[in-house]
Amino acid sequence: MAHARISANLPPDVDPTKARIAFGRRALPKLQEELHSPELLTQQRALMALCDLVHDPENVYQAIEIGFLDNLKTLLLHHDSTVRQKTTETLCIMAMHNVGRQGLIQNGVISALTELLDDPVDICRKNTHQIFEMMAKLHEGAVDILHAGLIPLLVFKLETEPDEIQELILDTLSNSLRVEASEALATGAVTILKEKLTHSSVAIRSKAAWVLLEIGTHPEGKSVLCEEVTPVLVSLLEDSDPQVQASAAGALMFATVKPQGRFSALAAEAIPPLLKLVAEETSKARLSAIKTLTMLAELPEGRKTLLDHIDTFQQCLDDPCETVKRAAKIAISVIKWKP
Amino acid sequence: MLPARELPAVPAVPYSYCSRPRALPARPKYRALPGAAELEKEPVRYANLMYDRRVVRGNTYALQVTPVSTQPNPFEIQKQREARKRALARKRAKEQLQPRTPDPVEGREHVHVQTELYLEEISDRIIEVDTECQTDAFLDRPPTPLFIPAKTGKDVATQIEEGELFDFDVEVKPILEVLVGKTVEQALLEVMEEEELAQLWAHQRAYAELRNAELAEVQRLEEQDRRYREEKERRKLQHMQMLQKQKETTEKIAARAFAQRYLADLIPSVFNNLREGGFFYDPIERDIETEFLPWLMTEVEETLERKVLGRTMLDSLICTVVEKRLDAFSHQPLSDQTEAPTEEPRSTDAAPQVAGETDTADRSVAEKEETDEPVVEEQPSRRISFQLEEPDQAGTEDLEPE
Repeated sequence: MAHARISANLPPDVDPTKARIAFGRRALPKLQEELHSPELLTQQRALMALCDLVHDPENVYQAIEIGFLDNLKTLLLHHDSTVRQKTTETLCIMAMHNVGRQGLIQNGVISALTELLDDPVDICRKNTHQIFEMMAKLHEGAVDILHAGLIPLLVFKLETEPDEIQELILDTLSNSLRVEASEALATGAVTILKEKLTHSSVAIRSKAAWVLLEIGTHPEGKSVLCEEVTPVLVSLLEDSDPQVQASAAGALMFATVKPQGRFSALAAEAIPPLLKLVAEETSKARLSAIKTLTMLAELPEGRKTLLDHIDTFQQCLDDPCETVKRAAKIAISVIKWKP
Repeated sequence: MLPARELPAVPAVPYSYCSRPRALPARPKYRALPGAAELEKEPVRYANLMYDRRVVRGNTYALQVTPVSTQPNPFEIQKQREARKRALARKRAKEQLQPRTPDPVEGREHVHVQTELYLEEISDRIIEVDTECQTDAFLDRPPTPLFIPAKTGKDVATQIEEGELFDFDVEVKPILEVLVGKTVEQALLEVMEEEELAQLWAHQRAYAELRNAELAEVQRLEEQDRRYREEKERRKLQHMQMLQKQKETTEKIAARAFAQRYLADLIPSVFNNLREGGFFYDPIERDIETEFLPWLMTEVEETLERKVLGRTMLDSLICTVVEKRLDAFSHQPLSDQTEAPTEEPRSTDAAPQVAGETDTADRSVAEKEETDEPVVEEQPSRRISFQLEEPDQAGTEDLEPE
C-alpha cells in the first residue's frame, strides 16, 4: 500500500555514520560537546565527522585552539576499537599539517600514543606509527620521541610487526636517530637492523640501510658499524635495486670515516662494486660511492688500487650535478696525494 | 617728412639703458623653496619667447590697461561709497516693510513661550543616545521532527511500459559521459597529487643525500685532521725522547770521562797506600821477621840470661868460696891438708860435671857467633876457679845441709 512517507530510507545525502555538522564556526565546538556524550554511537559519529573536517588546515587550527587534543588523548584509551581507530586517524591527518604537528608536540600527544603501540587492532597501530613517522620529520618531534623513550620500544617492535608497519618504524627510527643514537645502540638495534638488511622486501632493505646510515653519523655508532655491519653492506652494494644500493653506499660512507671501518671495508673488498656504482651515469649512489672511495683512498692500499681507476673519476667530472663534480675533484686529489 | 635720423655707420655711442636688455630665463613651474634659491645654480634655461606666458597676445587695440598707479582714484572711492550707502538704504527699507509684532504695552513684556502639549527643552546641545545591538549566538537548532503529511487525494495507479518514456541507451549517454569524465578527472587529480608527492620525496631524498655527503666529508676531514695531529704529536714526542736520550748519553759520556780521569791514578795510589800500609810483603822476609827473629832474640836472651846466671852463680860461688876461705884461713891451717885429697875426687866428680857444663856451654857458644870472648875466657877461668874451689866445695856441701 502506498504511504505518505515516500521512502523508508532517509534522503541519500545524509550519511548515517556521521554526525550532523553545524554551520561555520559552530561546527567544531558542537562536535567537541558530542564527543563528551556518554553514548557510544554519538561519539563515533562525531569522530567520523571530525575526521572529515580535519582535512582542512583551518579546521585543524581551530580544533587545536578549542582544545580538541585533550579530548582526543582521553579517547585514545577508549575500549571501543572504532573510536580508537578514528581517533588515531584524526591525529594522523592533523600531523600532516604543520599547525597540527606543533599542536601535537605542545600537548604531549606522543607520550599518550605510547600506550597504543600494543593495540590489538592492526589499523590503530598502523596509524600510530604513521603519526610517529610524521612527527619524527620535525626536529622537535624527533627530540620528543627520544624523550618519551620510544626508541627501545620501536626497535623491539621491528621484529614482531608486519611489513608495512616495519617500513613506518624504520622511517621513524631513521629520522629520530639523526638527533641521537646512543639509546638505539644500547638496545642493540644494530643487530636487528643487520637481519633486516637481508630481508626479502626491497623497501625494508633500503630503509634499514638508511637507518644504519643515520646511526653512522654519530661517532659511537660508527664504531659499532665498523665492527659488525660492513661486510653485509658491501654485499648490498651489488643488490638489484638502486634504492638499496644508494642507502648501502651512504651507510658505508659513514662507516669508513673511522680507520677500523676502512680496514674492514677493504677487507670485504668494497672497491670493485663501488667503482661500478661510480661508473654508472644515472646512479643515485654515485655521490655516496665517490665519497666512500675518497675515504678508502686515504689508506695506502686503497690508494694503490684506486690509482689504476682514476679515469672513472675523470668521467664524473662531467656530471651535471655540482656536488658530484666537486666530490670527484676531491677524490682525485686524495688519490694522488703523496705523503 | 620726418627729420632724417642719423644712422651711424659704426655705433660710436652705444645705447644706455636703465637696465640692460637680457634674455629672460624660463619661468619655473614651481616656486623655489625659500632657503634653497642661492644654493643651486642650475644652468640658465632660456625659454622660447613664443611660449612665454608673460608676453601679451591677441588683439592689442582694445586692451584692458592696468592703471599705471595702483592707488585708487578719489573719484572711484566716492563711487564705491555711494554704492554702499544705497545698498544699506535698500536693506533698511525692506526691513521696515515687514510686519512685526507690536511693541509691548507699558508694564508688560514679551516672552517666548512654548504652547505645544509637551514642553521641549531647547538647548544648544543635541541629545545623543548610544545604542548597541548584537545578534545572538547560534542556538542549537533542534533536529527537524519527522514530518509525515497526512494522506490526501485519491489513489491512482499507472504503469509505464519499457521503451515508452525514453530510450535508455540514448538518454544515459550524457549522464555516463559526465560520470565517467568526473571520475577520470578525479582520478587524474589524485594521480597528479601522488606524483607530486613522489617528486617531493625524491627531492627530499636527494637533499638528504647531499647533506649526508657533506657531513661525511666534514667527518672525513675531521678524521684526517685528527690523524695528522696525532701523528704530529707522536713524532714530536719521539723527537723529544730522542733529544732526551741524546742529552743523557752525552751526560753519561762526560761523567764517564770524568770518572775515568778521576780514577785513573786510583790504582797506583791505592797500591801505593797499600804498599805503604805494609799490605804487600815478601812472605819469607815476613816469616823471618815474625818468627825467626823473635825466636832468635828469645834464644839470645836465654843464652844471655844463662850466661848472666852463670856469672851470678860464679859470683856467688866466688863469694862463698872467698868467705869460706876466709873462714877457713881464719880457723886452722890443718884442715887444709885433710880436705885437700877428699876434695880431689870430688873435684874430679865436679870436673866432669863442670866439664859437661862447660862443654854444653862451649857447644852452645860454638853455635852462636855472638858468644863473647870474655865468656870463653871465663870458662877456663871458671874451670880453674872450680878446681881451686874443690876443697871449698866440700866445705860448701857441708855447709849447705846445715
